[in-house]
Amino acid sequence: MVTLTIDRCHQQPVYEQVADQIRRLISADELAPGTALPSVRQLARDLGVNLNTIARAYRLLEAEGFLAIRDRAGVTVAAPPAEVDHAARSKLLDQMRVTLARLRQTGMTTGELMKVVRREVDALGTRPGQEHGHG
Amino acid sequence: MGEAIVVNAFLTLRVFLVGGLLVALPRVTRKGLLLGAYVGEEVADGEPARQLVRSWDRGCLIVMAISLMVGYGISLAGRPVTGNLTGTAVLLLAALGLYVRHYSMARRLTPPESVRRVELVTVPLVAPARTGERLAKTALAICVALSLGTVVYATLSYRVMPPLVPDAFGGVGGSAELSPKSVITVLFVPTLNLVLSPFFALMGLLTAGAKRSVRGGSGGGSAEAQESFRTLMANVFSGTALFICAVLTVLSAHIVRTGLGRTGFLWAVFALSGAMLLFMVASLIWILKAHGQGGALRESATAEMPLTGGLADNAHWILGMFYVDRDDPSIMVEKRFGIGYSLNYGNRSALVIVGTFALLILGLGALGLFGIVL
Repeated sequence: MVTLTIDRCHQQPVYEQVADQIRRLISADELAPGTALPSVRQLARDLGVNLNTIARAYRLLEAEGFLAIRDRAGVTVAAPPAEVDHAARSKLLDQMRVTLARLRQTGMTTGELMKVVRREVDALGTRPGQEHGHG
Repeated sequence: MGEAIVVNAFLTLRVFLVGGLLVALPRVTRKGLLLGAYVGEEVADGEPARQLVRSWDRGCLIVMAISLMVGYGISLAGRPVTGNLTGTAVLLLAALGLYVRHYSMARRLTPPESVRRVELVTVPLVAPARTGERLAKTALAICVALSLGTVVYATLSYRVMPPLVPDAFGGVGGSAELSPKSVITVLFVPTLNLVLSPFFALMGLLTAGAKRSVRGGSGGGSAEAQESFRTLMANVFSGTALFICAVLTVLSAHIVRTGLGRTGFLWAVFALSGAMLLFMVASLIWILKAHGQGGALRESATAEMPLTGGLADNAHWILGMFYVDRDDPSIMVEKRFGIGYSLNYGNRSALVIVGTFALLILGLGALGLFGIVL
């Protein structure tokens, strides 16, 4: 069974820890599209945190397209959109450019940057029907 | 003499059931917990922990022997019922004292790093199965409908009932005595049904949504074990609620019918009560034997897979029995020592539920007593 672990004493807020881990699990296909996640109430009880903390994490992931929240069906993992959202993709690429530039500014070499990007892409795994290392 | 034998047999059965359960509990509890304290998975496997459990076993046997001797002694002096009650009271009080002593000893075995607030919490990220919740909701609906039905039936029959009515199993437990007709004597059992059976169904519903305590690391199958255990416990509550409802519904109907001079069916009340006790005892013994407390027997546990969250957090447990965490929205949490789930006494909803139930039962008890005295 897929699990999630938070550190209550970590600097990073709990809602970000929750969102980060769910994002990673979905990207790595450990949570397949359509998988039902615990309700806000159940996850808050299990973690022993405020309901708003989990609601905030779920809303963030819904806005990013990772989750679908419906009243009766509950919270499920969203399938990638059938059509490419060019505007959203362009915005994310802009953010990546800024992040790469900032990393370069910290003193990282091109080789180191390539290594980091490769490692992160490898960590995402390969989705069925996609060839590893291509677009 | 015959009465003394039956009463003593009940006392003996009770002492062996409770004593046997107390001896069994440390063996079916989740690894890392020792007599209500979280001591860590490594310490729980060590020799000091085993010595403490042996001391607990000896203590339980002594408590059982003392309570039987007290009960039999008073019974031999010609007061079997008092002997039964006193023996039971001695059993419970002595067991409590024994537990508190061993809990304190277990806390001393807790390594310092386990005392600090547990920072890591691991939880299953899959929506739970809803079978327990569905059964509990169905049981709640049935209990409310049937108990309301008994209240309506008793109310409608009130006018045509004679001035003297049977007050079977009223506030003081008198059986089939005749008392002057009053709202209290006629409506006591139906109202008790309206309070008691929905409460048990509600506990089933809360258990179905209780906090899940899974292990860190690879988890050792604890999430699945916990899920099955939680569903089973919720089902036991729902089943018990339905039995209570059936017993009290039949008893209410019996009281009204005999009051109206028709044939009663007290035999059905006894049969259902026996079936209910059998269901509760058998299902709890089976759950403990096959699953262990919290699914302990169906998970692997090592130091790399420690308990996390509230269950492992000694700071939030009073005597290892009462969980109090105001920041935790959980109403029900897994017990550290015992069977099933306990309330989070720091949660306002939990306090409202317990407070309301206690007030209703105390109020009904007082009214019942008042009705019988009249």
